[in-house]
Amino acid sequence: MSEILALDGVVKRFGARTILDGISMKVSAGEIVCFVGPSGTGKSTLLRCVNGLEPIQGGSISFEGAPVLAQTASIRAVRRRVGMIFQHFNLYPHLTALENVMLAPVVVHGEARAAVEARARGLFDTVRLSHRINAYPAQMSGGEQQRVAIARALCTNPHLLMFDEPTSALDPETVGDVLGVMRDLAREGRTMLVVTHEIRFAAEVGTRMVFMDQGRIVEEGDPRQMVASASTERARQFLGAINH
Amino acid sequence: MNYTFTLRTIYPYLGELWQAAAVTLWLSSLAIVLSIALGAGIAVLRRSRLRLLRVLGAVYVEIMRNTPLLVILYVVYFAAPAIGIRLSSFVAALLGLTLNSAGYMAEILRAGLIAVAPGQFEAAQSQGMTGWQVFRHVVFPQVFRTIYAPLGNQVIAVILASSLASAVAVEDVASWMQTVGSTSFRFFETFVIAAIVYLVLCQTVNIARLLIGRWLFRQGATR
Repeated sequence: MSEILALDGVVKRFGARTILDGISMKVSAGEIVCFVGPSGTGKSTLLRCVNGLEPIQGGSISFEGAPVLAQTASIRAVRRRVGMIFQHFNLYPHLTALENVMLAPVVVHGEARAAVEARARGLFDTVRLSHRINAYPAQMSGGEQQRVAIARALCTNPHLLMFDEPTSALDPETVGDVLGVMRDLAREGRTMLVVTHEIRFAAEVGTRMVFMDQGRIVEEGDPRQMVASASTERARQFLGAINH
Repeated sequence: MNYTFTLRTIYPYLGELWQAAAVTLWLSSLAIVLSIALGAGIAVLRRSRLRLLRVLGAVYVEIMRNTPLLVILYVVYFAAPAIGIRLSSFVAALLGLTLNSAGYMAEILRAGLIAVAPGQFEAAQSQGMTGWQVFRHVVFPQVFRTIYAPLGNQVIAVILASSLASAVAVEDVASWMQTVGSTSFRFFETFVIAAIVYLVLCQTVNIARLLIGRWLFRQGATR
């Protein structure tokens, strides 16, 4: 499998606080990497560094062989190939669900509206929201909004999907709908980075689990094996605590 | 006191009233458009990464919002010639009104920008949009919706404030009121007529704003 993402000694600081303390990892196409660990350990920040929403203070990131440099014009080329799903959806409130999904392909990728609309309608089938195509974000539940956000990310044909706690802002009833869609995407063989507290989902769908604590990768490996018996005390403690 | 309200004496002056109303409308419209442009610039200054620019923007806003428009008009019209800038009445009034209104426009626009959630910028950037695309397709439509009502208030405030232009010899509705009042000695009538002209102008703007707003934001697209 070909490597699409490589992080080498990535350091991220906010002022005097170190959020990421030397993160190195490689991700190959088709992998589903689930990041777990306590809040505030830099999991979300890590995703945000990958598409340059946060500049890094040390180390390097490369995506599909090219360096990721935040705050330069080159970052847009990376972002065009990476789809990001946020905890709070961040749908555009002034646009309908369909318009939300179509905006970037038309505006950023310069595709013809008709072709984009056909693809977008297909994606609404994928996320099981064809009946909500003309609704505005304010008229939709959190679960529906998050599925629109997934369709929005998919519509640009990304090579990598990043989910930043996609179900953390949802009520328990709609979490299943979103995880269901993510399961489908995993089956399609998409490359995904998922920051989540849904350990059961991570164990079932992930191809790799990365346990982070205090800005470092403490342990990584097969998700099922780690949930069953993590080799480090810290990971065992955390996974045990939220599993019961 | 015996005062008979009569419009008969005023009648011959109504032709000039239309002209005066046109001046009021033209002056206010230009001042509104120009102060939106200037205000936008100042709102951007106030969000700058550089402290000096932020302070500069804030100082401008505070000066304009804390000095009477009349004083600004006098400075522009009477004091500026002292340093060699000689402006016509109309241009002086336009400049004064614009400078003053820009202070308020800047704050309206700044509030509109602040109201756009940070996640909106991030979502748009994460999709690979350029700064201009983020502004054009994501930020501006939301800012516009937020500022639509306060912007309408400011438009009316400018129309009403433009009456002070008569103090620097612009022949607008307020000036008509004073001139015709003092030549016909029918002050009460001219005051009432001037008030009605301003009322009709402002209410027309207000109703247009409501109708256009209803059409623009017709779907359940409120946030």
